[in-house]
Amino acid sequence: MSASTESIDVRGISVTLQRGGRGEPLLYLHSASAEATTWNEAFELLAADYDVIAPVHPGFPGSGGLDRIHNVGDLVLHYVDLLNWLGIARAHVVGSSLGGWIAAELASLYPERVASLVLAGAAGLWIDGAPIAEVFGIMPGQLAERLFHDQQHPVAQMLHAAGETAFDAAPPEELLLAFHQSTEATARVAWNPYFHNPALERRLDRIAAPTLVLWGAEDRLIPRAHAERYCERIADAGLRLIQRCGHLPVIEQPAAFASEVVAFLGTHPLRATSG
Amino acid sequence: MKFFFFHLMPWPYLPDDYSGPAWITCPNSHYDPQKGTGVYNRYLDELVSAEALGFDGVVVNEHHANAYGNMPSPNLIASILARQTSRVKIAVVGNALPLYNPPTRVAEEYAMIDVISGGRLIAGMVVGGGPEYYSNGLNPTYAREQFYEALELITQAWTRPGPFEFHGRYYKLRYVNPWPRPLQQPHPPIWIPGAGSLETMEFCAKRRFAYMGIPYFHRRVFQRNFDFLREACGKEGYTPDPEQLGWLTPVYVADTDEQAWREYEPHLNYFTHRLLEGITAAPPGYTSAKSVVRMVQARGDFMSNCKTRQDFEAGDFAIVGSVATVRQKMVELIEAYGVGNILALLQLGTLPADLTRRNMELYAREVVPFLREHFAAKKSAAA
Repeated sequence: MSASTESIDVRGISVTLQRGGRGEPLLYLHSASAEATTWNEAFELLAADYDVIAPVHPGFPGSGGLDRIHNVGDLVLHYVDLLNWLGIARAHVVGSSLGGWIAAELASLYPERVASLVLAGAAGLWIDGAPIAEVFGIMPGQLAERLFHDQQHPVAQMLHAAGETAFDAAPPEELLLAFHQSTEATARVAWNPYFHNPALERRLDRIAAPTLVLWGAEDRLIPRAHAERYCERIADAGLRLIQRCGHLPVIEQPAAFASEVVAFLGTHPLRATSG
Repeated sequence: MKFFFFHLMPWPYLPDDYSGPAWITCPNSHYDPQKGTGVYNRYLDELVSAEALGFDGVVVNEHHANAYGNMPSPNLIASILARQTSRVKIAVVGNALPLYNPPTRVAEEYAMIDVISGGRLIAGMVVGGGPEYYSNGLNPTYAREQFYEALELITQAWTRPGPFEFHGRYYKLRYVNPWPRPLQQPHPPIWIPGAGSLETMEFCAKRRFAYMGIPYFHRRVFQRNFDFLREACGKEGYTPDPEQLGWLTPVYVADTDEQAWREYEPHLNYFTHRLLEGITAAPPGYTSAKSVVRMVQARGDFMSNCKTRQDFEAGDFAIVGSVATVRQKMVELIEAYGVGNILALLQLGTLPADLTRRNMELYAREVVPFLREHFAAKKSAAA
């Protein structure tokens, strides 16, 4: 599949996006790991059936405009602007973690723009007694343990290695820069309240889109209770678990992730749900 | 040249079997309030005694939720010192401005200390350490901007006739009109501590605020920073007075080098390997991604890497030795750095009261007068 990297200007914010495939538009909203900075395996699989559009959020590597983002609401407006720029009235929206939070906000505030919704390991809620684990200020190795089920996964291995490198063998500067830039852009909206918006839960009943809540069976970052709460509050929602998978199915189990998404979206074609 | 006595008020009783950080998550069950009474009062006695020993000033600062420095409110300590001393400058370096909302609180409390002390306050202003942003829930991605705006609000509160309206991005106050106003006019001297952020040094150069270099780095880091500051002042069209540059350093003096190291090393190690653990937490956006990368690359120059006496000595992380050794090292470093405010940390870690007292006396009687004379002679020779 041929994918392209595009640079566009959305109301004054420069945005890098990956785009590939043919079919109904699928807007993918990435996690704090900024997996949309490159065309990845999951995108490739989704692109067999969909026009995959994966923009980099403002402030993350490749996109500007962090000075215009102060809360998750600003990100929602940005994605409305981006859909307008692309001339897309309605899209399937798939979000992971931080991106899942943005997707849930978007679908509750602009239900007419979201044909169907996939929330994969989505942040966004506060559940008493089931806190989202700390991601800021921890060692890369600890982060790997919270994000991944399989510590042998190449990304987990890279994180473990980064925590153990000697001073003279520090990770390449561009990698460090990208990591810190992503973390800063994440903290801008997720520092406090921590990865949630207290107002989101009570307006989840505004979500009209059929919704798939997709969770790693071994997610150690966001407890399963969050998946269950999304299912309870969204009118038409179902939960599917991905086995042998931690917090980020899109990265750890891209094939299973893509096949769940394709199977779900296939039962909810854009035309059938329009109007 | 001015000589200051700096106190961190550290917690000296972390249990031997605790090896975690001294910051953010260090369980406060390790704080024993019964012992705390003795600790605070001993440290206050040490600060008060600096006046009789001839120091020009005493220095305190603000930290939260940690064992490294038990002064979440340095203004409380400074207000005690305002009453228990009569001559020394009282430097608070400083208040972490974004932690005060609205920051007119800082303008008010500093003015109170300045008025009560008869105009002896030095008003330090800081962004706050990285750990503070975890402990206080403030969004670190706004830290710098918020700090600059708060500082602007405070200086306006001190210098503009009130009431006036302040309409900033972070602070919107319809009636700024603090009572009391500071005694020193137009306002108390402002010091800005910094760990080498280029932006902070450029800011000090531009506004002619005094910059205080935060320690615990290899001497080459200090050198680079003070040189950069002088260059920045040069770009603003002036040569800074040495007293625009402050140097904070641990100092320990004893009869001989061997005695000094033997007495000091366990306490220096407690400080370095227990209390500094976690101090470098840099929350996201607290400094630019570029600065963070620079910090990661410079972490080899941080004091916590020191394992042996040789390591500490090689980077001049602490000035330790006989009177002659300390004199010689301080002359060399003061000349190299070109600094005019010398802030000595004479109690550190678990250093007990008797050794602290002797250290203060030896430093005040044998080192300070020597340095005053040496640099005064040098200055008049130059003139």
